Amino acid sequence: MKYSLWPFITVAVATVIIYGSRRFREVAQRLILPLAALAIFVSAWQFGCDLKKYELRSPDGTIRLLEVFPTPWQTVVELGRMVTDGTLLRYTVASMYRVAIGFGLAVLIGIPVGLTMGWGARTFRALNPLVQGLRPISPIAWIPIAILWFGVEDASAIFLIFLASLFPIVTGSFTAVHTIPSVYVRSARNFGLRRFELLRYVIFPASLPQIITALRLALGIAWMVIVAAEMIAVQSGLGYVITDARNGNNYARVCGAMVCLGALGVFLDYAIRQLQRLDEVRWGFSKV
Amino acid sequence: MGDATQNDSKVVVRGLGKVFERKGDGLVVLDQVDLTIAAGEFVCLLGPSGCGKSTLLNIIGGFEKPTVGSVTIDGAPVVGPDPRRVFVFQEYGVFPWASVWDNIAIGLRHLPRAERDARIHRYVELIGLEGFEKTYSSELSGGMRQRVAVARALAVSPDVILMDEPLGALDSLTRFQMRTEILRLWQKERMTILFVTHDVDESVQLADRVVVMSPRPGRIAAVVPIDMPHPRELGSPAYAALKTKLYELLSVTHAV
Repeated sequence: MKYSLWPFITVAVATVIIYGSRRFREVAQRLILPLAALAIFVSAWQFGCDLKKYELRSPDGTIRLLEVFPTPWQTVVELGRMVTDGTLLRYTVASMYRVAIGFGLAVLIGIPVGLTMGWGARTFRALNPLVQGLRPISPIAWIPIAILWFGVEDASAIFLIFLASLFPIVTGSFTAVHTIPSVYVRSARNFGLRRFELLRYVIFPASLPQIITALRLALGIAWMVIVAAEMIAVQSGLGYVITDARNGNNYARVCGAMVCLGALGVFLDYAIRQLQRLDEVRWGFSKV
Repeated sequence: MGDATQNDSKVVVRGLGKVFERKGDGLVVLDQVDLTIAAGEFVCLLGPSGCGKSTLLNIIGGFEKPTVGSVTIDGAPVVGPDPRRVFVFQEYGVFPWASVWDNIAIGLRHLPRAERDARIHRYVELIGLEGFEKTYSSELSGGMRQRVAVARALAVSPDVILMDEPLGALDSLTRFQMRTEILRLWQKERMTILFVTHDVDESVQLADRVVVMSPRPGRIAAVVPIDMPHPRELGSPAYAALKTKLYELLSVTHAV
């Protein structure tokens, strides 16, 4: 139970700081509160591990209690091992590479397709039922097809990431066009803008904030799907680490990989959120 | 009906009617509207909301088709929106993703660069937004944004400017400043202005003629010439009398 004590100390310290001093309230709320929440989470994890142990009888008759689940500390140790033996870096790069290519392709194809569907009523009529029919099929359901087409190769995982990101991007893009206030389109037509000019000066910039939101959503989904893809369709990457470690009964490594997935997911989301700060789209994200 | 003489008439509306189809029956929005506007004239369309004044403006602008009747500008029928007659919307229609400069440039994109830049400079100066050229319009105040909308419209040298309650979304002080601003620009450029409003004071201060409309179906109830030189004395008895007259016309048309 000794691990389970320090989170409560953190919370106590947090409470004292938060209510004790107004000057530190801002800093405290930004730093201590999330740390306290994390501490409670970790202690609950530790508590769960303590709850379920199994007895290991040695031949000499001594009994040792072993955790079934990897503890937070074991996970940290295993993470350290993954860093030093190079697997973490190698597999992170492998996963990131697949997401980058698959997501990139989805952006290149999804935005033009979505904009065309949004602007062209006939294209929309033709393609929307197909898109809406394909969209609810989990990318994971495509794994057998992907392997059939591309084998147990990078291409399989990339294809799955592409599929996972494509539909949110297409849907987000045409919805963005559909919700452009008509006053902008009317103004543009009034000034004689047609076709390509209309697209370049009005349709695209007016949709961009919503498209960026769709990209953010799509990247989040892509990052979730990469694990499933790598568990089955390839022999490397963070998803593969999880299957491989499970097969080797190394559950600390499973948890270590999960922690990495979470951390990298936060990083990716932070990175793509930077797009919202571009001058051209700031109007869409803040009501000043 | 106080029409301008035939030879300098700019906008001619004849026997115009508009019916919006609803389930089963039709809603008559405009009925038998005849109106002739002279070149360089400032006409206000005054009426309560729902009297079809915005619909009339949209038809003149080419954004909507009439059910019956015709609109001609310089003798040619209106078939669609055209940069020669620019619409200024109540919600501005100024692009928030573009700077003041780029907003004004939108109608000038086919001009040679030097000429375009000179024009943009001129109109930025005209609306008093020097120093804000690179500012995104989303960062401007409502009044500044409306000035950009007006400058953007003026920059393409239109013959006709159609304004649909352009000051409706502004606070009263800014509204008041904008009225003076619009008058100043109009006196300088002498384009034809059709200005939709439900504000009696606004129409008396701005217009050469006030066209009073009655609702359901939208008809022209009266045309009141405002024969006062600019700048108008807002406290003068004549001004007050005209306001009273318009209020009476409006309440009479309400009662019908």
